[in-house]
Amino acid sequence: MFNSSKKKTPLKAKEKGEMPYAKAGISFKEWRDTKPKTNKWRNLRWGVLIAVNLLFMVSYLLGLSLLEGSLSGSRAFGFYLMDTYNALQVMTISIFDGYFWALTMNFWIGFFTILTLSILGGRTYCSWVCPYHLLAEFAEKLHDYFVKKKKIKEHSYNIYLRFVFWIGFLLIALFTKNIVFEDINPIGIISRSLIYGPSIALLWIFALLLFEIAYSKRFWCRYACPVGATWAITGQAALLDIKFDLDKCAHCRDCQDVCLVPHELWFVQKGKATQETHFTGSDCTRCGLCVDVCYGDALKFTVKGMDKIL
Amino acid sequence: MAQHNKENSRRQFIKSAGIAAAGLALLGGGVGYYNKVNGPKFTRQPRFLRPPGAIDEETFIYACIKCGLCVQICPVEAIKLADLNKGLDYGTPYIDVREQACDFSCDSLQCVETCPTAVLDFTPFELAGGEALKEYSQTHDATKPGFNPFSVQIIAMKSIVKMGIAKVNKETCLAHKGEGFNGTPRGNDFDGIYRSPNSKTGKPAPLSETTFDREICDLCVTECPIGEKAIVMSVDSETGKTIPQVLEGCTGCGVCVMVCPTQKESIIIEPIKEESHV
Repeated sequence: MFNSSKKKTPLKAKEKGEMPYAKAGISFKEWRDTKPKTNKWRNLRWGVLIAVNLLFMVSYLLGLSLLEGSLSGSRAFGFYLMDTYNALQVMTISIFDGYFWALTMNFWIGFFTILTLSILGGRTYCSWVCPYHLLAEFAEKLHDYFVKKKKIKEHSYNIYLRFVFWIGFLLIALFTKNIVFEDINPIGIISRSLIYGPSIALLWIFALLLFEIAYSKRFWCRYACPVGATWAITGQAALLDIKFDLDKCAHCRDCQDVCLVPHELWFVQKGKATQETHFTGSDCTRCGLCVDVCYGDALKFTVKGMDKIL
Repeated sequence: MAQHNKENSRRQFIKSAGIAAAGLALLGGGVGYYNKVNGPKFTRQPRFLRPPGAIDEETFIYACIKCGLCVQICPVEAIKLADLNKGLDYGTPYIDVREQACDFSCDSLQCVETCPTAVLDFTPFELAGGEALKEYSQTHDATKPGFNPFSVQIIAMKSIVKMGIAKVNKETCLAHKGEGFNGTPRGNDFDGIYRSPNSKTGKPAPLSETTFDREICDLCVTECPIGEKAIVMSVDSETGKTIPQVLEGCTGCGVCVMVCPTQKESIIIEPIKEESHV
């Protein structure tokens, strides 16, 4: 989101002879075919996402204390975890009537644990845990299909729209003295429906998915979700990141096509990179789709500072 | 050209932000209006009670984060999360006592202890437990090895639960009509379980497996987990009939409502209307 390296003067655009395929002495198409198609990271991610949500369901069904609660607040092996935006709303309302001091130690443990996780791992929660993300990925595929068939037009918005929602929902909470966002939060609704049985509120999820299919690609995740925005805000200096290597990039921009937040991959455009290596910013959900698609392995998962230690 | 694009995208942002803000204002105003009309004090209904230790409804509906930890920990599955059509705030916990009452067979108040935002507030229970132990140690030896202080504390803790208070419907109550009851109160398909005070196993059992045979129906009295401090059979001085009488000690647990054999329950739990209660 806020990236200081973007403001620097760009490096000189690569000559044709400097492209990775030219170095290998083959054409771009031949070079592209040398890399086998892989969905390694996507499959791993889907596995983790489904496993986490299954663990919630199994814990309730069988009465095990593995992962109790739901995604708005839970207890993993007796250790509390608290959704940060949810907690923030409760804090915002309660600070004015003194209830703030009644919140339990477990609440604070949960809040600061998730805060620490987001500081270390950035917005990873979105693509590796959030059940709505998975549904939205399928909706995205349908949307792309319809756009390709010229049945619908693409509608995109400014990514800062999220902060209008982020502040807006906090203000609504403050003035109505109710955490209204939780009533329409797809994460909470899907999570509770999976664990405690389906709710009428699922109709809202269908409406949202239909809107994303027919009108605006990934609308909720990109432009609205305050939960994702919270993770992005706190994950400014996250250690887990995607590392970009300019030398290996052929500027095909296929990675931007699959990305949820293409603005975070601004440096893959020809003549835009300001450094030999770049890291994705806090909006990046570390989903790994770009890593899978990259023909030259120019994009890779990395933990900042680890290469120095190892 | 770049300048023009920038101007364009800024205008687009302002437009979409305006729409978003208007939508949010509408939503906030709508919820605010709804709250004003159906204020929190009306959302506690006779059938849908809040779990033990619930704080005042106004704070409850915002401080409850709808995680469902209280639902998970309840061994008799009495607590459920409200759906949109229940007339309660979406996702908040409630107990439908007619379907499954809170029978205290957990012998602790784990739903209260597990709540991270203290909307089920453990503080008064902790105090009551401490008091009870102090009193007990004056007459008994509480330092004796093998003595479990919790067994003393829990009795005091249970007795200060106040989810509501039972109220008998004189029109339909079998005892008021002078009738007895013979059979299974809620039929063989009923799912509810509870621990009867007369239970030999000391474990909750399905209500559908129990049959009763009473000259005058007194199930609400004999099955009450609190006992004679909460409800007794007494002779009405006017009619001379033996009828159930609810006393101060009633916690509103709802076991009487669950076991009531009439088609529509003849005893209900009226939620406590005061600002704050435990």
